[in-house]
Amino acid sequence: MIKYLAKRMGRSLITLFFIMTLVFILLRLMPIEGYFDNFDKLTEEQIQVGLEGMGLTDPMPVQLVHFFEDLLHGDLGVSRRYRSNVAVTEILASKIPISVQLGSMSILLSLLCGLPMGILMTKNKGKMFDKIGTLFIVFIQAVPAMVYFLFIQLYGTTLLNVPLLFDASNPICWILPVFSMSLGNTAYYGMWLRRYMVDESTKDYVKLAKAKGVSEGQIMVKHIFKNAFVPLIQYLPTSFLNTVIGSIYIESLYSVPGMGGLLVDVIKKNDNNMVQAIVLLYAIVGVIGLLLGDILMTAVDPRISLSKKGGGR
Amino acid sequence: MAVSQVNLRYAMGVNMDQQDIILSAKDIEVKFDLRGQILTAIRGVSLDIYRGETLAIVGESGSGKSVFTKTFNGLLDANGRISEGELLYHGENLAQYKKEKQWLKIRGHEIAMIMQEPMTSLNPLKTIGEQIVEAIRIRDKKLSLQEAKKEALGYLKEVGIKDPERRYGQYPHEFSGGMRQRVVIAIAVACKPKILICDEPTTALDVTIQAQILKVLKEMKEKHSLTIIFITHDLGVVASVADRIAVMYAGDIIEIGMTEEIFFDPRHPYTWALLSSMPQLGIKGEDLFSIQGNPPNLFTEIKGDAFAPRNPHALKIDYQKRPPYFEVSATHKAKTWLLDPRAPKVEKPAGIARLRELKAN
Amino acid sequence: MAALRHKISKKLEDKVSDNITSMSDEELFSFQEYNANESEKTAYSHYSYWRSTLESFKKNKIAVFLVCIVVGILLFTFIQPFLPNQYDPNMVNNDPKTGLQYRNIAPCSKFWFGTNSIGQDLWSRIWTGTKNSLLIGITVACIEALIGIIAGVLWGYVRQLDWFFTEVYNILDNIPQTIVLILISYILKPGVTTLIFAMCLTSWIQMARFIRNQVLIIRDREYNLASRCVGTPTRRIIFKNLLPYLVSVIMLRMALSVPAAIGNEVFITYIGLGLPSDIPSLGRLINEGRELMMSASLRYQLIFPTVVVSIVTISFYIIGNAFSDAADPKNHI
Repeated sequence: MIKYLAKRMGRSLITLFFIMTLVFILLRLMPIEGYFDNFDKLTEEQIQVGLEGMGLTDPMPVQLVHFFEDLLHGDLGVSRRYRSNVAVTEILASKIPISVQLGSMSILLSLLCGLPMGILMTKNKGKMFDKIGTLFIVFIQAVPAMVYFLFIQLYGTTLLNVPLLFDASNPICWILPVFSMSLGNTAYYGMWLRRYMVDESTKDYVKLAKAKGVSEGQIMVKHIFKNAFVPLIQYLPTSFLNTVIGSIYIESLYSVPGMGGLLVDVIKKNDNNMVQAIVLLYAIVGVIGLLLGDILMTAVDPRISLSKKGGGR
Repeated sequence: MAVSQVNLRYAMGVNMDQQDIILSAKDIEVKFDLRGQILTAIRGVSLDIYRGETLAIVGESGSGKSVFTKTFNGLLDANGRISEGELLYHGENLAQYKKEKQWLKIRGHEIAMIMQEPMTSLNPLKTIGEQIVEAIRIRDKKLSLQEAKKEALGYLKEVGIKDPERRYGQYPHEFSGGMRQRVVIAIAVACKPKILICDEPTTALDVTIQAQILKVLKEMKEKHSLTIIFITHDLGVVASVADRIAVMYAGDIIEIGMTEEIFFDPRHPYTWALLSSMPQLGIKGEDLFSIQGNPPNLFTEIKGDAFAPRNPHALKIDYQKRPPYFEVSATHKAKTWLLDPRAPKVEKPAGIARLRELKAN
Repeated sequence: MAALRHKISKKLEDKVSDNITSMSDEELFSFQEYNANESEKTAYSHYSYWRSTLESFKKNKIAVFLVCIVVGILLFTFIQPFLPNQYDPNMVNNDPKTGLQYRNIAPCSKFWFGTNSIGQDLWSRIWTGTKNSLLIGITVACIEALIGIIAGVLWGYVRQLDWFFTEVYNILDNIPQTIVLILISYILKPGVTTLIFAMCLTSWIQMARFIRNQVLIIRDREYNLASRCVGTPTRRIIFKNLLPYLVSVIMLRMALSVPAAIGNEVFITYIGLGLPSDIPSLGRLINEGRELMMSASLRYQLIFPTVVVSIVTISFYIIGNAFSDAADPKNHI
């Protein structure tokens, strides 16, 4: 077990290193104006001095080494154009808590709605509830999220009589963002749980359980749901982390002062250091999500042999 | 001539009632709805099963042997139904059962089942111990977990699993195919059933394991006085386990009799063909006999004898009219017009005679 | 004899055909000539994969209807500029009397879908935008499928490449697609090519992996063992035996790539890295409509593009699923 974990984590670290290097090199291709808060007013000379001061004139490998050295000290550089000369980590630290709160609530709501939806759809397969659920899933999966987010904001704000913009101290303001954010995951959980449960329910072991005299309700809970939930578990950490670091759409639509909204802001302001830091954060979260997913899977599924895993999942 | 037929049928009925019938199927017809079409999988099958016997149902894939036995414990797929007939078990007509609750009384404790694929018929995420205990606790709800576990360990031992204490907590993937089938048997026996349906329990296993599983089944039968219904297409297996054999073709039992009668005095051309294609009858250097053609399309109504188009000895009447049972002995009957006194004499294929020689050796 | 026949027919409950009474016993109990063809014919033959696929697809009326809609929309986006009284989607229309721009004109007989805040005709912008978005989506789907299939087949069939592709997969699979989209769009010049490139850069690996897994399953099946023994060349195995089997899922993935690409375009445009303003797209139109959505009288600028985008994406999603159901041999009788 420990050997497997070490191996799997090592692999994640290598991937992470690879991604970071790539992101770093790609971002060096960016126009240099993204490193100055007052680029237009500067002379050639001032720019040159500034670049040297930031170490941007060094050869690429040297820059890379510096970057990783700083990273190990928890230093992601300073923001230039978004907020002049404020440490990136400081900005991120102020943004993360609200995203985590929002994300946790929405993921909880998704689980509370998505799992019962999947179970009920399986139980009523081919009937009304299944059809309505399928309609919902098709809509959420197919239509760009922007479309229904906008209409929820448009009609939700008038319906609930809440201000258009988010105010953390007002509990009603949390309803629309949390609800909107939960839709995607609700549809996802509902769809996959239904699919896995329908798959499981045709398996031989379910027939054998029936032949033993286990009632259908018991089979649903003890055999089918449990087994169908296992493949979903692998996806759980990823979806949790992705939601927790903030929905780019929701946070910027409602002006929530969180991570997702921040990304849109810094892109619009061309702040290279900030873009780099946020992109890295998203990548790290993605890698950790998959890692946790794999670890969780090995914990719940006895079939996964620990020594053999590692290649393609 | 016609009168004698009636008498025979009558006599048959009397004779069979003398034995203890545990389950009796009368004119069972099973239909499936498949995308707007109706498939008649079982076409009016009647069969009495006697307490304590081992009855083998043989036939090629798609002949309806599995479907037929699934009607006994209500495990037909959702699109299938018993459209006609009666299934009498302890004075109850199972064919009338609609609700799951009714079936729960039958499944397991009355009629248990073993399926073909040991690799997939156990829940991969539960230990085999849990799965046996589940069966025990359904039958005996008052039992504590500790007592149930003790009983489960006993069953594991009975089916020949070594070191049951350790094996109890293991998952199915840690068992080989043969061992898993033993576990499945343990689960079935743990239900304490009266009838055990074995649906091709050895087909997926290799030959040496097959023999072991058959031995376990025989032991279980003796120990727990089971009635076994053994479904298979492997005649070699049948010879070693069955007291009686029913041959199914296209949703009908076309010949039924004691094992010796079917092997040494078969009457239906399909049974001949089936026996002739046994590998044991092959002669070195010659092609093994195989039955020409395909089974009939069950979506359309079958006229006459379903086997007629594939039967080199088919009579004109085989295309016109479905044959009734003709009795060969008190325990042996077949549905073929060749047994009608008016029919021309047809010699059995030469291979069948060799069966006796094989036995003599 | 006649009496006997009568008895037989009465005694047996089975339906009696007219034929039987016209035949004598002697005739009835004579041998029927054995016809090998007859015995072969009885089964469920005459099976053609593609015909069955088409047949079961046609049974799904909604899907057929949506195919018509999508094809109709696509055709119309090409025809529309050539219809009479159409405006150029990028032309800023001025009122000839006042010389001012026709700003935010509500739908009327002159501007069917109204105009936007700088006086461009929304009707023609929507159709041009739909055309651009659809073409981007379809191109992405095709490129993904092409690269995915080639890589997947190589990955699965050429054992020496397995290690390489598995490593590539491990890295690409760990990178969230959103990040790639943002990064590439941030670094490169905004444009159609950038957008397509960003969308295809990593997504092909999923298709490749699926193909690879299927190839592995099928590669080791007995019928391929057989065709190998017979000496069928590898290329022929891939194209004759493997690909047709995979078609259902490939089509599903391609169909789902289109709504995903349209959604990505909307996203990229929203964060300000989308197509230049002289290339209308559904994402740009939705974004323009969004800026004005809080005023009820201008809401039409949001509603028209969102309706079109919803119809198009839902259609592709449903068509893809319906086709994959239809192409699955398990669903053929």
